[in-house]
Amino acid sequence: MIRKSRTDRITALVLIVVAIAAPFLFPSKYLIGQATLLFIWMLVVIQWNLVFGVAGIFSLAQLALFAVGGYCAAVLGAAGVSLWLGVFLGAALAGIFGLAIGLACFRLEGAYVALLTLAIAQAILVLIITDTSCVVQQGANCFPLTGGARGISQFGDFAFREILPYKYYQLGDYFVSLAALILGAVFSFFLIASPIGLTFRAIRDNPTYAVGRGVSRVRYQLIVFFGSAIFTGLAGGIYAAHVRVMGPNVLGLPLILTCLAMMVVGGLGHRWGPLVGALLITAANEMFKEVPEWQATGLGILLVGSVIFMPRGVMGLFSPATIDRVAAKLARGARTKRNAAIESIHRR
Amino acid sequence: MSDALLQVLISGLTLGAMYAVGAIGLSITWGSLNVLNMAHGAMLSVGAYLAFSLATTLGVSTWVALLGAITLGGCIGALIYVLIVRALLNQPAFEVNVVIATIGVAFILENTVLQIYGGYPLKQPVDIDGGFKIGSIFIPLRSVLLMAVGIFIMLAVAAFLERTRTGRAVRAISQNKDAALLMGVRVGRVFALVLGISGALSAASGIMLSMITTLSPGMGYDPMLKALIICVLSGLGNLRGALIVAIAIGILEAFVQFTLGVRFALPVLLLVVIVGLIWKPTGIFGRRDAVRL
Repeated sequence: MIRKSRTDRITALVLIVVAIAAPFLFPSKYLIGQATLLFIWMLVVIQWNLVFGVAGIFSLAQLALFAVGGYCAAVLGAAGVSLWLGVFLGAALAGIFGLAIGLACFRLEGAYVALLTLAIAQAILVLIITDTSCVVQQGANCFPLTGGARGISQFGDFAFREILPYKYYQLGDYFVSLAALILGAVFSFFLIASPIGLTFRAIRDNPTYAVGRGVSRVRYQLIVFFGSAIFTGLAGGIYAAHVRVMGPNVLGLPLILTCLAMMVVGGLGHRWGPLVGALLITAANEMFKEVPEWQATGLGILLVGSVIFMPRGVMGLFSPATIDRVAAKLARGARTKRNAAIESIHRR
Repeated sequence: MSDALLQVLISGLTLGAMYAVGAIGLSITWGSLNVLNMAHGAMLSVGAYLAFSLATTLGVSTWVALLGAITLGGCIGALIYVLIVRALLNQPAFEVNVVIATIGVAFILENTVLQIYGGYPLKQPVDIDGGFKIGSIFIPLRSVLLMAVGIFIMLAVAAFLERTRTGRAVRAISQNKDAALLMGVRVGRVFALVLGISGALSAASGIMLSMITTLSPGMGYDPMLKALIICVLSGLGNLRGALIVAIAIGILEAFVQFTLGVRFALPVLLLVVIVGLIWKPTGIFGRRDAVRL
């Protein structure tokens, strides 16, 4: 265990150094922009993995929390509040939302949670799309609070253009999202290694036994919902500030599919799974840019194939258990071959 | 006022029948085999588009198109078993992995439909015209058909599960897959059969739904969401309960749309579901299974 955490620490350190150095080594606008988004999705998927993979709560509302954070920052920004403040308020609001969702499904299990959370996300989407309230009046145009189906824009950004020299202003968003990602990842690593993480493992592996031993499922579920919702809301706010537009598309199914694929391909419940998965799926999406109309199909195939052929994701391929199993399979194969050879000798 | 109320009641009944029809395919796989098929919505639209293609491109008659699409829908359901569910059967996290895999299938199917037919809504050529009037309110014949067929299929499937030998095998598997296997139930064959039936019924539901609304690649998503709500609220594995809940939800939704506006229909529905589940976590008509450790 000590060994493992040391490997983790060294890996994390190397990755952070690489991430800090990378934009100076490859100062491509496109790459830096894509990396910023990648960090944001990594943060979301890490938090989703805490809820889904670690705590075993089949929630599909993670992007709804993301939207809550983003919309809060955007709406406040449009009202003239600094986006820095808005992002943190958005994270707090998302935390409260997460707590509410956690309370709504605390008596449910498995697929029931999936459905309820999916329905909650859909309800928020419908409420935003059909929003025709008239909160902001600009001339003849009337803008609803959430921007309705068109989304909300022109709420500013982190104002790095004023602080940083022109050549480097893009790095502001990059390092903000990197910092948020590191914070979120540290939270995730500590939670998984802590007694809370062990509790989740107990609840996931045998809920009845865990409850029989006096573990309160509700309390720990609420803790993980709250914590991960805060970071997811933070990611939403940073996304809004980076992309500078917040639309209902963040609640759409394609994005849910993308993040789900990131989580599953990387390895459900694994500490490093979300990072690896987000990287792989982002790379795959870059390749699909050649044939954008088949992107959803490609992601679907990736998701299905991953569940069938590597149910524990890419990281599961490297786990000791899998290596043992593969070795055993190879040995069995060798044995059958040997037996076949012996049989053929006997037949002669 | 009484006219308005009658209108609300009738549109509620139509909605309820739509939801019941949409829920059939889902409730047999999820209710009896614990396979939550998230591709259900996509299968609804695939069935509807298949009928469309058969009727327009091949130009066959309405009934042939209907039967052909239902058969092909059944084949898709069986194919989902052969290609995907069979590979997952022995995994420890079977239930969760099926959900994830079928979400993938949903995207594959829906995007394929989108690429072939485009996103523009089409009119379903396989259709039944006509209708009659009650008071001053026109009731289209297809709504009546929807209701009748929905109730008939629901009851037929319930009878199949309760009365036949295969139905008993399905129920045995739903209670304990491993024990059923040890007792000589051909689990794989039953899974293939149930998924095939569910695929065929989904295609039929999709065609009927597209008669009332229009054909579009995402047309199955909302019925699927409602179907999930119905299955959960009524309790899994109870088809008659699902029928009652579907109609109750339809009437509630029509009423909310009439009083509060369309946009609050889903939130109010959710509120009802959440309260209902907190009151009875296993659904209104559900039973609580004993857990063996």
